[in-house]
Amino acid sequence: MKTLLMISARNLFRQKRRNILLGSAMAVGVTLLIIASSFANGISDVLFNKIVVFVAGHVSFSSNEGGSTSKIVFRDRERIEKIINENVPELESLDEAHGVFSRIIGNGVADNMMIIGIDAEKGLSPERQAEFEENFNIIEGEFEDILRTDVENPIIVPVEKAEYLNIKKGDIINARFVNIFGQNQSARFTVVGTMKNDNVFMQSILFVQYKNLKRLLGIKDNESGNYQITIKDPKKNAIIVTDRLHDILKPGPAFISGSIVKSAKTENVTALPFRNTEDAKKLISASFTLSEGKMDDVLKRDGAMVSDVLAKQLHIRVNDKVQISFKPKFSDNSALLPVTVKGIFKSDDVTGKNTVYVHDYLFYKYFNENIPDLVKDKGTAFIPADSASFKKALGDEWVLLPRTKTTDEYTNKVSSIVKLKTKATIIDVNSMYETASQVLQLEFVLNLITFVAVLVLFFIIFIGVVNTLRMTIRERTREIGTIRAIGMQKKDVRRIFVLETGMLAMMSSIAGTIFAFVIMGLLSVISFNTEGNALAILLVKKHLYFMPSAVSVISFMLLIIAVSMITAFFPARRAAKMSSADALRHYE
Amino acid sequence: MKLKFRFLMLCILVLMFDAGEISAETKGNVLLKKMEALMDVTSDIKANVVLTQQKTNQGIKKMEMIYYRRDADDSFLIVMTNPESEKGNGYLRAGDNFWMYRRNTRTFQHINRDESIGGSDAQGDDFEKRKLTEMYAITLDASGNEVISEEKLGSIDVIKLEIKAIVNDVDYPKKIYWVQKDTSLVLKEQSYSSSGTLMQTAYYRKYTMVDGKYVPVEQLFIDEFEKGNKTLVEISNISTKKLSNEIFTKPYLENLSK
Repeated sequence: MKTLLMISARNLFRQKRRNILLGSAMAVGVTLLIIASSFANGISDVLFNKIVVFVAGHVSFSSNEGGSTSKIVFRDRERIEKIINENVPELESLDEAHGVFSRIIGNGVADNMMIIGIDAEKGLSPERQAEFEENFNIIEGEFEDILRTDVENPIIVPVEKAEYLNIKKGDIINARFVNIFGQNQSARFTVVGTMKNDNVFMQSILFVQYKNLKRLLGIKDNESGNYQITIKDPKKNAIIVTDRLHDILKPGPAFISGSIVKSAKTENVTALPFRNTEDAKKLISASFTLSEGKMDDVLKRDGAMVSDVLAKQLHIRVNDKVQISFKPKFSDNSALLPVTVKGIFKSDDVTGKNTVYVHDYLFYKYFNENIPDLVKDKGTAFIPADSASFKKALGDEWVLLPRTKTTDEYTNKVSSIVKLKTKATIIDVNSMYETASQVLQLEFVLNLITFVAVLVLFFIIFIGVVNTLRMTIRERTREIGTIRAIGMQKKDVRRIFVLETGMLAMMSSIAGTIFAFVIMGLLSVISFNTEGNALAILLVKKHLYFMPSAVSVISFMLLIIAVSMITAFFPARRAAKMSSADALRHYE
Repeated sequence: MKLKFRFLMLCILVLMFDAGEISAETKGNVLLKKMEALMDVTSDIKANVVLTQQKTNQGIKKMEMIYYRRDADDSFLIVMTNPESEKGNGYLRAGDNFWMYRRNTRTFQHINRDESIGGSDAQGDDFEKRKLTEMYAITLDASGNEVISEEKLGSIDVIKLEIKAIVNDVDYPKKIYWVQKDTSLVLKEQSYSSSGTLMQTAYYRKYTMVDGKYVPVEQLFIDEFEKGNKTLVEISNISTKKLSNEIFTKPYLENLSK
């Protein structure tokens, strides 16, 4: 084998000009493949780890009350964060996210903009900090200035909007927006910095400290907005994590365990919500018999019915107003659920003896604002068994929207929320494949275009290489005849040619790889003026971004070597099969 | 189109009341209860509504519509008649369902109760009947006294009272009313955000009597946050005759839009 290698190497250097030309063609092919692959990887990296993370997170958790666009709130922050932290080992960061559409008044000019809250206090990892600074190029001030306490509601404004609003650092701007209760809210913000973003989509976004925004929106400390979940290896894990969270977030029954004081008596009661759908109402009508009152009245938005046992104990009559006092999870003061009794039902062990059934709209209005500790209260509450005929008509602690796989499904899901007709908290878990699918489609299309262009070039070069190899072996037929005549075996002849091509391909691949890195280095130096161009989001600091990986570089080298050797194998085998006499007679 | 629909209900539903006298000695809570009692509308209604909106640097925009409301269940139907771009579009709320109709596509779309109507400030739930005393109470000063006083609004004697929200789901957490002393008609209203900023001032400039009720037929809403923006609401052809149930159906809105 050593001899064969030596012969192959000698042959390689004997035909220098021909082999340099052939090797150069192979090297150019390798260079193109590596550059294209690194550019595609760079696009993926930018889109997945820099844009999707900031736009929607790899996985997102969102919640709102009754489908309201302004009531974006989850009332038990501690609980949801615990669920995510405990069940997502792939977690890299968990960011509470909230934005509010606002009317901003500058110096004599107004415009609609989005105010986004960022938890700057939590601190970013050096990588995330670098990414943030890369995405949001701070021109004036520092990112940390939004933490300042010596000015009113510090805010960072995009340069473009600062110019339009005729404002500069230190100026005050006014904003009008709607808080989570649906109230008109206004606030003054102090401009502490300006930023420049090449991404046109981000040029209408203003940043404030999340705590300040929460306060202005009326979100308490124990409550949260939406979450953006950044995970390791998002391409592989995003759907797995989303499905897992969706399974874990299946809701339990909603109830309020409290007491009613009336006629100098106190009775412990459990209030349970019945849904506002036609099916639920039919189930309730069929499952409960009223001894007093009308079922139509019970099923109205402010409807409620109490058990006959409770009515007897507390002397409750239809149209009486009673208040259910209960202990909220996050307050030391008792909360009240006021109901006007519209019906008294005949109770049994299935319905519960000390129970009050309340319409969805009325129940969740008080349940949401004073969320009780359901885990703790479960011991004292009456919860109808799953076998109860009306169980499906009862509301849960939240409504979990179904999983969707595509953007279309996701869009349909969101637009059909209004049909749920509930005031309960509606929660949704999505992966970036649904929420940021347009970004991902962009990645796919760009990768596809890049690879198709490179493949076309690669094949043009490759066909040339194959043809040259064939010609080379054909030209050397008489040489083959000679070495066969002096006793070289057929298989050794074949191996010499294959090894020779393999060595040429290896050297060309190494040269091509070095060449690719030199070109990528040079291209990365060029600065592009991308103002106003949406594709600027694919650049990093106005430069092309290449992300070569060792695996892909080695793979391409092996691919070129393997393809070259296979290509050389067939003409080499044909040549080796020739008799030495025929080979020697060969003439071109 | 940021039209000031929010008080349309106040115009059509809330401020239909008998003119009665409120004595100078009337305390705030009594006045509020009186106002609430006067606001209790018990009839169906049909009216033509014109909104003229003026915005800084954007000129004047006029919007016309027909409004139907059924008292029994708070159902309502709005159909736009002008401008041409909006003509035939409508909103229908029947029971818990709330639809938006687009004439161009001839489609109904389910919308949320807090969705904007016609791109305005109005939302579906603004049209729900709610009691004033369940939403607001008279503000008390540091000494525990009601914030209520008598003064003049121009040359008219009025009672000025400040109220604050006792529930969260209201548009404005604080309001100040100027109520005409001898007629109890609201003449002016200021609305404040929870941070205490004056957001809007409303002037009830003209009332008319329909079936023994006073209806404010001309109101001016001034945007105090974004100076220069104002909306004039004019109501005409008011009818309180009982409306047919067929009106509050999808086919009726479709036919009306043709």
